[in-house]
Amino acid sequence: MRNRVREQRTQRGLSQAEVAAALGVSRQTVISIEGGRYLPSLPLAFAIARFFDMTVDKMFDPDDQEAGT
Amino acid sequence: MMRFIAPRLRKPVGIALFGTIYAAAWLVHGGNGWLWAIVTEIGVIAFVIAAYVHGGRDSDEDALYGSRVDERQQLIAQRSWALAGKVTMFAAFVGLTIGVATRATWWWSFAVIIAVTGFGYLLGLSNYGVGEEAPADDANDGYQARSPVTH
Repeated sequence: MRNRVREQRTQRGLSQAEVAAALGVSRQTVISIEGGRYLPSLPLAFAIARFFDMTVDKMFDPDDQEAGT
Repeated sequence: MMRFIAPRLRKPVGIALFGTIYAAAWLVHGGNGWLWAIVTEIGVIAFVIAAYVHGGRDSDEDALYGSRVDERQQLIAQRSWALAGKVTMFAAFVGLTIGVATRATWWWSFAVIIAVTGFGYLLGLSNYGVGEEAPADDANDGYQARSPVTH
């Protein structure tokens, strides 16, 4: 499962700590999600998508083989 | 009760409480037990301070000490406890087997550990929904199934 969290975060010039604080999770969790090592729960996935003004299926793509494509 | 305590203090308070109860057990033990009680309480105080300091740092482990975990860290803790339970069960099984084979008098203590761990597992299955067997809420319940392909 690829996601666009890192791409969207860097585009907005945000740090991982800032995103973590906005989502109410730890910085380590944001790092794990960006690295694809942790799949967030459905509520957190929606929160991430809303935070970046995207839909969940645009933010998380099971068929996407390369991040940011 | 823990909800009334600040998150960062919960683990230290728990450690202090159970550690002091254990130290008190050495006092009740009598004889030179008071010495072990003092040693235990010193260790407990050191552990409480360490837990409080760790609770303020920025890592997964320290978030657990500080009782401020997010969903991923909670999952890590649950998996760790599950692993601890499996290791306990296996170690108790080895102890029980050796105890029975050598006709030791302490074999039953391992049987108690296995029984308590097994009961905890069954309690978990009961609490977390495995027993919630319900008939399927099928939209076509009572009606003949139809093919989605129209002819």
